[in-house]
Amino acid sequence: MSTGQNIENTVVQQTEPVISIKNVTMKFKIATGNVSSLKEYIIGRIKKQITHRELVALNDITFDVMKGEVVGIIGTNGSGKSTLLKIVSGALKPTSGTVKVDRNKVQLLTLGTGFDYELTAKENVYLNGAIIGFTKEYIDEKYEDIVKFAELEGFMEEKMKNFSSGMVSRLGFAIATMRETPEILILDEVLSVGDEFFRKKSMERIQQMIHGGSTVLIVSHSISTIQQNCTKAVWIEKGIQRMTGEPKAVCEAYQNMRN
Amino acid sequence: MKKEQLKQYWFVIKELTGRELKRKYSRSYLGVLWSVLNPLLSMAVMSAIFSMMFQRSIENFPIYYLTGSIIWSLFTGATNAAMTSLVDNKQLLIKVKLPMQVFTLSRVYTSLANFGYSFVAYVVFLFIFKIPLNWTMLVLIPIVALTLLFATGLSLFLASAYVFFGDIKHLYGILLTLWMYISALFYPVTALSETMQAVVRENPMYCYIAAARECMMYGKLPDAGLWIRMIVWAVVIFTFGQLFFQSKKNNIMQKV
Repeated sequence: MSTGQNIENTVVQQTEPVISIKNVTMKFKIATGNVSSLKEYIIGRIKKQITHRELVALNDITFDVMKGEVVGIIGTNGSGKSTLLKIVSGALKPTSGTVKVDRNKVQLLTLGTGFDYELTAKENVYLNGAIIGFTKEYIDEKYEDIVKFAELEGFMEEKMKNFSSGMVSRLGFAIATMRETPEILILDEVLSVGDEFFRKKSMERIQQMIHGGSTVLIVSHSISTIQQNCTKAVWIEKGIQRMTGEPKAVCEAYQNMRN
Repeated sequence: MKKEQLKQYWFVIKELTGRELKRKYSRSYLGVLWSVLNPLLSMAVMSAIFSMMFQRSIENFPIYYLTGSIIWSLFTGATNAAMTSLVDNKQLLIKVKLPMQVFTLSRVYTSLANFGYSFVAYVVFLFIFKIPLNWTMLVLIPIVALTLLFATGLSLFLASAYVFFGDIKHLYGILLTLWMYISALFYPVTALSETMQAVVRENPMYCYIAAARECMMYGKLPDAGLWIRMIVWAVVIFTFGQLFFQSKKNNIMQKV
């Protein structure tokens, strides 16, 4: 695929890391047995049946992401990828270790878009834009571009419950990438879905952003997504950083483990 | 920078509140008009019931009830909606650039907006029942503010607890029923036994309701004891809610 090669060519001089993850460990205390209701919790407490065990979601993860790099994080489901993502975006504080990143530059794009389907697309643009940190003036300014990119001219006053999934993901992508200045884009499984046409278009947009100095972090369990798009890959399995380096080598090792 | 952040906070709260209000009547023909129409009609029903059925016990009984009822609805509207604020906004939690509390606060603010609509209807009834205008009515503003502070504290606690225990919702519903009966919404507190009176007087919601009646119905200012109770309850519960929320932040993020 030509898009992948283009990205590879754009790796600029690597100065200092945009994201620096050092010895990050994340431990959770989870109750044994499934305590989901207050009744079970109280009864368990009284009977002293609730014991906590420690779950190590991430164990000593260390890697840097340089400016202009496209780094892929690969691993099976439940391997700690999304926990890492939450830590990078600042939503979770790691148990130990440090993450250096400018949180204001991080744009996160996930499959769950957080749209309210009872509202119109326009209302959702403002709601989502506000949540991810844009001012009203800025959204006003970019509104036309968003509509154009998402190819939703004439649909913006309609409730989103009438939208197809393709329309929804286009709008989500358009909102997350509305800013032109260099930033850190985190894509959580989004490139594995959507129609071919949209994938091509969104890859072009990502490339554009990288040319403008942006950095991309792709989280996926799909080998092809990582191989086609990334300049570096990190493989995380059950919270342990198994391998870091060339996407091809990392993906091969990942595939061998799976077979 | 600080000012910009505050402005953004306000923008997010406005957007989230706008969403709640739009959602509520999105399927109805009259739309947002229902926000005023609904309290107006239900107040009409309640006034009719209370002026016909329990007339004797209290002077201006409908207004006595309505004054308590708008404060009570402000409180229950805020806490009930805020309880599910984190779970409902799961997808947005991870993306938000502001403190997560913004989702809970916006639900409380939505309740204040609804209070505003109800208040329009309430004023109509003040005229119908010929309640004289008095400058003490302005004191309702700090009383509402304190009620909100109290509600916010409880909301922050409920919202974070609800992430872990879904059945809090049902328990809280039952607690609210009990709480309503000891808030003297539709009876005079003097109708109770001495011990029950003492209990009711310590009830924070009764304090806010009683203070509202003083300034709206009787043209009086709440006495010092009432002020102290109102302020202490609001500050203590707000601080507790905020601290509880902060301490559970990481767990909430992991759970949702």
